[in-house]
Amino acid sequence: MNEVSPPGWAIRFLQRVCPAHLWEGIEGDLLEQFQADVEELGVTRAKGRFIWNAFRFVRPGIILRNRISNTFISSIMVTNYFKVAARNIQKRKFYSFINAFGLSIGLAFCMLIVLYIQDEREFDQFHANKDRIYRIEEKSFDTWQHDSADPFRRSAWLQAGLAPVIKAEFPEVEYVTRYNDGNRVIFRYEDKVFTERVTYVDQDFFKMFTFPLLKGNADRLFQDKLEVVITPEIATKYFGDVDPIGKTIEIENEGKSLFTVTGVITPPPAQSSLSYAVLLPQENRNNYQRNLENWGNFGTPTFVQLRQNANLESFKSNLDHAIDKYMSDRLERWRKEAVVPISPDVKMLEYEYTALPEIHLNTAISWDKVSDPQYSIILGGIALLIILIACINYISLSLTTSTSRRIEVGIRKVVGAQQSQLVYQFTVESLILAVISMVFGLGLVVLFLPYFNEFTNKGIALTGSKIVQLLSVGLVLMIITGMLAGSYPSWFLSRFKPASVLKGGFTSRLQAGFTKPLVVLQFALSAFLIISSVMMYRQMQFITTKDLGYNQDQILVIPTQAGWSEESDRVVDQFRIRAQSEPLIVSVAGTSSSFNQGFSRYGFKINGEQKSAYVYAADPQYIPTLGIHLLEGRNFDENIPADSDAVIVNEALVRDMKWTDPLNQYYNWREDTVGMGSRVIGVVKDYHFLSLEEKYEPMFLSMDKHNVGYRTTLLVKVASADVTAGLDRVKALWQQLFPDKPFDYTFLDDDVAKQYSRYKRWMNIMGLSTGFAILISCLGLFGLAGINAVNRTKEIGIRKVMGADLQTIFFLLNKQFVILAILAFSLAAPLSWWFITQWYMKDFTFQVPLTWELFAISMITGLILALATVSYHAIKAALLNPADTLKYE
Amino acid sequence: MSKEFLGEFEELVLTMAGILQDEAYGNAIVNEIKQRVGREVNLSAVHVTLYRLEDKGFVKSKMGGATNQRGGRRKRIFTVTNAGLAMLRTMKEARMDLWKLIPQLKIAGS
Repeated sequence: MNEVSPPGWAIRFLQRVCPAHLWEGIEGDLLEQFQADVEELGVTRAKGRFIWNAFRFVRPGIILRNRISNTFISSIMVTNYFKVAARNIQKRKFYSFINAFGLSIGLAFCMLIVLYIQDEREFDQFHANKDRIYRIEEKSFDTWQHDSADPFRRSAWLQAGLAPVIKAEFPEVEYVTRYNDGNRVIFRYEDKVFTERVTYVDQDFFKMFTFPLLKGNADRLFQDKLEVVITPEIATKYFGDVDPIGKTIEIENEGKSLFTVTGVITPPPAQSSLSYAVLLPQENRNNYQRNLENWGNFGTPTFVQLRQNANLESFKSNLDHAIDKYMSDRLERWRKEAVVPISPDVKMLEYEYTALPEIHLNTAISWDKVSDPQYSIILGGIALLIILIACINYISLSLTTSTSRRIEVGIRKVVGAQQSQLVYQFTVESLILAVISMVFGLGLVVLFLPYFNEFTNKGIALTGSKIVQLLSVGLVLMIITGMLAGSYPSWFLSRFKPASVLKGGFTSRLQAGFTKPLVVLQFALSAFLIISSVMMYRQMQFITTKDLGYNQDQILVIPTQAGWSEESDRVVDQFRIRAQSEPLIVSVAGTSSSFNQGFSRYGFKINGEQKSAYVYAADPQYIPTLGIHLLEGRNFDENIPADSDAVIVNEALVRDMKWTDPLNQYYNWREDTVGMGSRVIGVVKDYHFLSLEEKYEPMFLSMDKHNVGYRTTLLVKVASADVTAGLDRVKALWQQLFPDKPFDYTFLDDDVAKQYSRYKRWMNIMGLSTGFAILISCLGLFGLAGINAVNRTKEIGIRKVMGADLQTIFFLLNKQFVILAILAFSLAAPLSWWFITQWYMKDFTFQVPLTWELFAISMITGLILALATVSYHAIKAALLNPADTLKYE
Repeated sequence: MSKEFLGEFEELVLTMAGILQDEAYGNAIVNEIKQRVGREVNLSAVHVTLYRLEDKGFVKSKMGGATNQRGGRRKRIFTVTNAGLAMLRTMKEARMDLWKLIPQLKIAGS
């Protein structure tokens, strides 16, 4: 009758989680029910019900009874565990310190990284309507650069006319605003004249985004074109403590107008993709009306907020519809004009959108603060490496010290301790130390956070909830580490037979054999970080010292503050004439844009071939001021009228055009059908007008005002003897000549260096992590070396008696660490090489060569560090008087 | 009465334990509830409730003798304590008191 039995695994599982004293009653009831079910429902269904019923017992009302009883048994010993733990920590103060300190450093670093990653994920989350706000983007077929893998170009820059169309024609859209940030214009209020960065938006901006207004009414803002909304900082700058509402301020941007302050808005938080200091209505943008009607001009990011429960699909189809309605003719023309035929099923242009909270990590579309989620992953990886190193230390140190407690374990077993109790004791002990280091680590986080913020260019603040989060993350980590560190030694120790331990048959050596692989692993990890950061440093060094092909020193970059107009040219010439008599000013040149302050790139067809080139407006002083090397031909000459149409090209352009005799060529970049184009009068040696991430691209200089543009930027070279005096002189001159224009300046070399700030930041972070890793591994190594030396005290004593000198003993003690370090290095070298070439270097077209010395240097540094750490103990042990160590034997 | 309070299910289980007397163990209570009230309850729920009632002091338990059934596993027999009986009685009376307050005339009207 009993031949059918329920699934055994379910019973075993339940028996594990069930409190022992309740088990028999529960099992009996389950079996009884099972038998009834078999008769009633058949075997298969009965088995299913049995499993279901068994699992229903996994509930707090049952499980929790478990723990209470368990803790009850062990709690008798808990006070003793605490006492023994405290004694042990005191007895081995130094190791306890190393142990706790290493762990807390690792933990602190991990917490910082957690904060960083969290900060990345929290970007733009503060907007109340974040789920309904989208940024619209264009996805257009790229007729310029043919990339067969992904021939589409994506960008957030759209036509200015799109926003009004959406507002008027899309029923599912509640609000829409355009957003143009970054333009600098001149502000004047009484005697205060400054340039300010302005942001052009529409009135819905204030209703969509959660940027609270301190003063003013969101529903009534920007009904008039001449309104301005400012942050409190700007308000204080111009109006002091006076209420700014209703004040008028003169703003000059292609013509002066008086604007009325109608609102004060809180500044954007650090975790915002949108940024502003001064908000102006879109209608004030240059050429607003013309852009509004030109659907071929992409220059305006646009955000929409959909209505509650709006249908995204109908929104998308409306967007498609808008393209057909406003752009179809133009797109057809583009398709026909394309050099390579485009298949008719390829859409020339499509609108896409990204939800507001996803903008920050969407690297496909460039945006001011966009950040690669890869960074978070890599940082997380580094954090894991470091915490791994720290944990390994902790575990191996605990292991090595705990073996010396073999006798204590023996006694405990003799007195009646069960294995589970021993495990419990060691776990409690290591948990105590782990929790201490966690508290310590949190202190380190508080201490390091400001520096970390500086390194990572973030504004993370520790709030109460963040601390709680960190504590919980830390606690979980600590419990895992503590358990690992505590349970393994106890398992290891409790295997010994108490009789053989207590009899004294065992030698008193601490066993360090099993810690060797751990040491190799952590040393390999540190070596990996060392090599990577040294390589990053070398690349940075290479970039900052590389000869760019022009002279970037002692050059001031000054905007003319006159915009895109004839006046800019006049400012340059006026300033040059006035500066000629100044001994501190070497030369003055004008250009359309200085390096890393934007560029112009023109695309055109020459002989039916698609070409493109970078263009800089220049004057005859440009080449000498920057010290650009003229290979062939001559510089521009003001006295030759034909030069206003001539071009000076770079070698890359000559290569691009496949010219052999460039000075007899014409460059027809204006697609001139009558003439032959611009005459080439000179060829300059390639120089890095772009960042070193880019290769040399075709480029030409021109004085053609109408087609290339005006010189809106002054480049002033000052005498190298005293740059500060030169700067003062330039400033004084400027204020004399143009008292109504603010004097803004940057140094050219600073501008150029800024291109690499992202890499610099990464180098800093890598450097920081390497520092942490080295510190932690050295601490671990120090501890292990100490144990090793203590182990061999007697051996050293005997050797000394036999006549070994200090050197021999030193060598003896350090030999194994050197071998371990070399082994670790040979593991780390290929790994870091892979990491650097695959991830870091690939962004740079101009790379520092990776040479073997690099690895050698890193390795020697690592070895020296390791030797220095272990030598302390070796020397100490070698210097001991053998009489002291051997007299008890 | 005010200090301890029984939930509906607790009261049901306690009552069943009172009815079954010496045969009051988990599975029997499940079957009894099914038979008398027509309600399918899960074994684990009954067990948890019984343990809770034991914590509150309304039942006490002991292991019964081994039988050939149920794989030779002993039953855990629950007996209602005096406190448990008193609790059941108070609850019944309290409910009767409340019941009396409902105007009974309405029934006649229908």
